[in-house]
Amino acid sequence: MSPTASWTAKTTYPVLTRRIPCWPHGNPKDRHTVWLDEYLRPPANTGAGTLGGYESLRKTITTMTPDEVVEHVKKAVLRGRGGAGFPAGMKWSFLPKPDANGDGGQRYLAINADESEPASFKDRLLMDFDPHSVLEGIAIACYACRIQTAYFYIRGEYHHQAKVMEKAIRECYERGIFGKQGLLQGTRTKNRDQAWGLDVHLHRGAGAYICGEETGLLESIEGKRGWPRNKPPFPAIKGLFARPTIINNVETLAHVPSIMEMGWEWFSKQGCDSTFAGAPASWGTKLMGVSGHVNRPGVYECDLGIPLRVLIESKDYCNGMRNGKKFKGAIAGGISMGVLGPDQMDAEMDFDIGRKYNVLGLGTACPTVFDEDTDMVAVARNIARFYKHESCGQCTPCREGSGWLYQLLTRIESGAAKTKDLDLALEIATSMGTMPGTTICGLADGNNWAVRTIMNKYPQEFEARVKRTFVPVGISVGAGAK
Amino acid sequence: MAWIVKNSAGMKIPRRAEPYLTAALKEQLTREILPRYEQKRGALLPTLHAVQHEWGWLPWQALEEVGAFLDVNPAEVWDTASFYEEFWLQPKGAHVVAVCRSIACEVCDHASITAACKSKLGIEVGQTTDDGKFTLVELECLGLCEGAPACLVDETMHLNATPESITKAIDEARSTQGGHH
Repeated sequence: MSPTASWTAKTTYPVLTRRIPCWPHGNPKDRHTVWLDEYLRPPANTGAGTLGGYESLRKTITTMTPDEVVEHVKKAVLRGRGGAGFPAGMKWSFLPKPDANGDGGQRYLAINADESEPASFKDRLLMDFDPHSVLEGIAIACYACRIQTAYFYIRGEYHHQAKVMEKAIRECYERGIFGKQGLLQGTRTKNRDQAWGLDVHLHRGAGAYICGEETGLLESIEGKRGWPRNKPPFPAIKGLFARPTIINNVETLAHVPSIMEMGWEWFSKQGCDSTFAGAPASWGTKLMGVSGHVNRPGVYECDLGIPLRVLIESKDYCNGMRNGKKFKGAIAGGISMGVLGPDQMDAEMDFDIGRKYNVLGLGTACPTVFDEDTDMVAVARNIARFYKHESCGQCTPCREGSGWLYQLLTRIESGAAKTKDLDLALEIATSMGTMPGTTICGLADGNNWAVRTIMNKYPQEFEARVKRTFVPVGISVGAGAK
Repeated sequence: MAWIVKNSAGMKIPRRAEPYLTAALKEQLTREILPRYEQKRGALLPTLHAVQHEWGWLPWQALEEVGAFLDVNPAEVWDTASFYEEFWLQPKGAHVVAVCRSIACEVCDHASITAACKSKLGIEVGQTTDDGKFTLVELECLGLCEGAPACLVDETMHLNATPESITKAIDEARSTQGGHH
């Protein structure tokens, strides 16, 4: 039996999507934005206690100290859902220790809702329909990290979502959940028996992919161009306005309330363990946004570790390939991660995917699926154009290399290229951004992984497009040579 | 490409008497936005958004006014504004039709949507119609991949667009007032 056939879902109820109907638990047609009044009522279809409703926040701040919350999230190995998969609890623990009176001084939380990676659209679902679950996670994270100001950085193209979040934040202020008086109308917290004030501000970006990189995002909040910063110093030490700053993804924070409510042991029973000794586990569920040539594209909440084949073929999820076509490949999760080849349909969607299947990583777990008719050279050209367009221009290898790659791939696609151009494209792809690091941020890495994996996994398509270069041997040598 | 900057030496800045950053806008920004940021410059993006929302684009004079308002050198305001694709430094049409051209939309035939927009509006990508009503652009991923091919008409998302549906959406937008984003 193949590993795929034996796979069964461990989590039989929705967690993140408990208020957002998603297949197989509900029909997406029934979706609506859950405003505060509805959010305060426990959801009907929950399989895991009365989650959310700001009760998780109340329970957390009245029964646990900030350090206990961080410890709890650390035990849950809540890995970042924004792409890198760095454990959130670990990130929080990097903040400088509080001073003698228990405060950390001015420090910030920046929420990364700059979901600009092509093929990624999972955070939009949460912002569209369940904004308060995100805000509750933000409140818990701020309490845990002793933060009193949070910036919700949302990409400029999400006009509707920005309005939804703005209204949800306003609701929280009106009801005294946020504000100077302290969380939940000034509830006494277990932190020195004092209320904990919190301000959350929405900050709209303006159409720059690079602002999704954490330090680029900070620059953008400071009112500068979104040029990533050199690290160290890491943002946890010196971030926004040179203060200690934590940057978390929307989905990561949306996971926090249920972990606090149900415990880290409950969280560890979802998802899967790592098959590599010593590697952090892939616990919990994950929003997976499938697009491309499938019958039912959309966002699904699955256990981490679900094989891509199940995600595509199961009636619970995408219900097979569109028009019964054959699977040719899929972007692993956001184009930076590279492409899974035709023989990698059984890849498990967990944080180990990068080490097992020759892609960069899980990314945002949003695969775009290609059927047998897809022109992979065009796919590579499209991706190269994206990086050329979005390179911020700060580091030379990326600024120049992304343009060259795009030119080369355009030439290959048009049929005017020669065999040696394939080698040249690969050489450019492997010499920009790769370790030991010739660029400040990972954009060049994303570019080269995407182009390299496509060229390596579909070599015949590229070779068929180029003119053979014959190397004449033994002629044109000597005085008569031109 | 955010990093390509045109040579502006000897350029003349058209000016008008009344400011773009009006007293009402200033008052609103001072009350609501400035207190949110530890440093005044933090309010630069929200201020530019507010001015663009009011006028549809960001003229040079407006950038200078924003600089004076936030104690930022006008050159630095330009530096920031020119980096972000959504800030319009030339006038745009009253409505913006933005077709997504990224990977999921391309493999689901975004080209037919762009073609339909082009023939409907009679312009190429990046141009504005002569009556100043519509600007057509192609953007990188709009984050609407499950509904590929997708596009934005002003601030409204259109998923699973077809040449017919986008033509209809353009007609509907024409009958409404401009949506300045």
